[in-house]
Amino acid sequence: MSGMLEGRVAVVTGAGRGIGRAVALALAEAGAKVVVNDYGVDVHGQAPTSGPAFDVVQEIQARGGTAVANTDSVAAWSGSERIIRTALDQFGRIDILVTCAGILRDRMIFNMSEEEFDAVIAVHLKGTFCCIRHAAPLMREQRYGRIVTFTSGAGLFGNPGQSNYGAAKSGIGGLTKVVARDLGKYGVTCNAIAPVAATRMTLTEEFLRAREIRRQQGIIREERALARLEELKPEDVAPMVVFLASDHAANVNGQFFLCAGGSISLLSQPRPIKTIFKPDGRWTLDELDRLVPVTLAEGLVNPAPPRQDSASSNERAGNA
Amino acid sequence: MGQRLRGKVAVVTGAGRGVGRGIALLLAEEGAAVVVNDAGVNVDGSGGESTPAQLVVEEIRSRGGQAVANYDNVADFRAAERIIDTAVREFGRIDILVNNAGILRDRMVFNLSEEDWDAVIAVHLKGTFNCTRHAAVRMRQQRSGRIISMSSTSGLYGNTGQANYGAAKDGIAGLTRVVARELGKYGITVNAIAPAAQTRMIATIPAKAREVRAQRGVALPGQRISELPPLRAEPEDVAPFVVYLATDAAHNINGQIFLVRGGVVALLNDPAPIRTITKDGRWTPEEIAQLFPHTLGMDLVNPAPPQPAGESKPS
Repeated sequence: MSGMLEGRVAVVTGAGRGIGRAVALALAEAGAKVVVNDYGVDVHGQAPTSGPAFDVVQEIQARGGTAVANTDSVAAWSGSERIIRTALDQFGRIDILVTCAGILRDRMIFNMSEEEFDAVIAVHLKGTFCCIRHAAPLMREQRYGRIVTFTSGAGLFGNPGQSNYGAAKSGIGGLTKVVARDLGKYGVTCNAIAPVAATRMTLTEEFLRAREIRRQQGIIREERALARLEELKPEDVAPMVVFLASDHAANVNGQFFLCAGGSISLLSQPRPIKTIFKPDGRWTLDELDRLVPVTLAEGLVNPAPPRQDSASSNERAGNA
Repeated sequence: MGQRLRGKVAVVTGAGRGVGRGIALLLAEEGAAVVVNDAGVNVDGSGGESTPAQLVVEEIRSRGGQAVANYDNVADFRAAERIIDTAVREFGRIDILVNNAGILRDRMVFNLSEEDWDAVIAVHLKGTFNCTRHAAVRMRQQRSGRIISMSSTSGLYGNTGQANYGAAKDGIAGLTRVVARELGKYGITVNAIAPAAQTRMIATIPAKAREVRAQRGVALPGQRISELPPLRAEPEDVAPFVVYLATDAAHNINGQIFLVRGGVVALLNDPAPIRTITKDGRWTPEEIAQLFPHTLGMDLVNPAPPQPAGESKPS
């Protein structure tokens, strides 16, 4: 045991499998007492079972750590309140909140149902908010806290077929930045991880099929991490979360980190890269017609240029 | 009156006032037939009246333009379909969708109620999804279209007291990036604007908070907005660039986010790794802790550093 988190109390949502499980195990190994939350549903959010959360608790206990299970859904206001309360009731406080819980309902936007959009927004975005909202007053009161959320390249870079998931994950990014500023002065930090790892959410049949097509077309390009997705383990993401949850990261706040295998990157924050400016006010369309092509739009690449053929309507580059 | 959008049909949500009104007027001035959608609610989403949309329609018609009013709520999936259907029924098609409708319910995150969260997410994020979803079907069939959604610097930069609004607006940015990649091949472009203008929504932010934000803008690295000259920024200033994105000239601008404020138009960068540490195999937390300060964490500034207890209470 490294002891980096000795005496700390952590809540990890979606901790029954994949990245959440790896985070819970790593936090426990670093000395934290852990509330292992998992609603125990399948990738689409169906068929809850209590098994996964209890399995991880047993695994932690078998290694000499301290953990309790919770099987509430993060998407419910009262459920998330119980999750946070479990930390208080069992361990007396909450120092660390890691929000991993999530589901997938991939579909191109012109076919996406209202229900598919709502379900994904509810679990990821509202679930993350609900847990933060219930932890925030406690962390503010004790003037200490570490919140680590999960965003995704799906929203940051834009994955076809994932308008619900991309919106939710980018929304979590915005939430993270605001919460960092709302709570920073109380000694609380809030950062986001964009993970790339092989889990049941990412290593899907659809992903493997789409990747194979892209390989055949020779368009794997910047997706090197995805080309070797199988080698990227959920356990590889956990050490950075432990670091962000520790005292060493007391002043790391409002940042995004991309974690893929042994690679950890700081992501850029949005900022203007090209600017046109008219000192005396409003632009006219004539002026924009002349100026934009040689300034703002110069060198811009359309990520999906118009096609003449009626290409396949349901492709998707994986990456969760 | 310009001719750039002659024969085109546009839907502008939240077009009864502020930025949306300015966009609807300029679209019409360029020859587009416009569905002026506005549920006529207060800034917090309460109430509802038909007057704002109707006034803008009359304004467009008095200048010789074509417009009809619609009062449906974008947050409702079926109502959003009616908004898009209005364009098709009245004018035969839909070429341009501007997702502009929005409300505000500012509160620090530790005081934010479930209802204030839900209301803001519903109008901004789900409302943008709803209209985009219904327009996408038609635009894909006709193999052309322009979708322009309103994001915000609130989410992009992180404005204190706006967890709901910031999440919704960054969610719209993510939605924009995904949908751009889904619809691009059908000749459709999807872009977002982060507008800044003096509207009734901005006017609800206390002067003190605005002052703090301005100071914070100066303090943060990478937030060069503070270097831009201080300007008067009127709602109408946002319209020209939105309308430009709706024209044929902008056919290849897709998946981008632009900041518009007064006479400033800026292209924002896409998120990208700026510093990386790599190891064959898994890092340990201790290794990261040792390396971080002079690698990834170099020059990082805490946007809200811890303060001693007893500071003044926030709103």
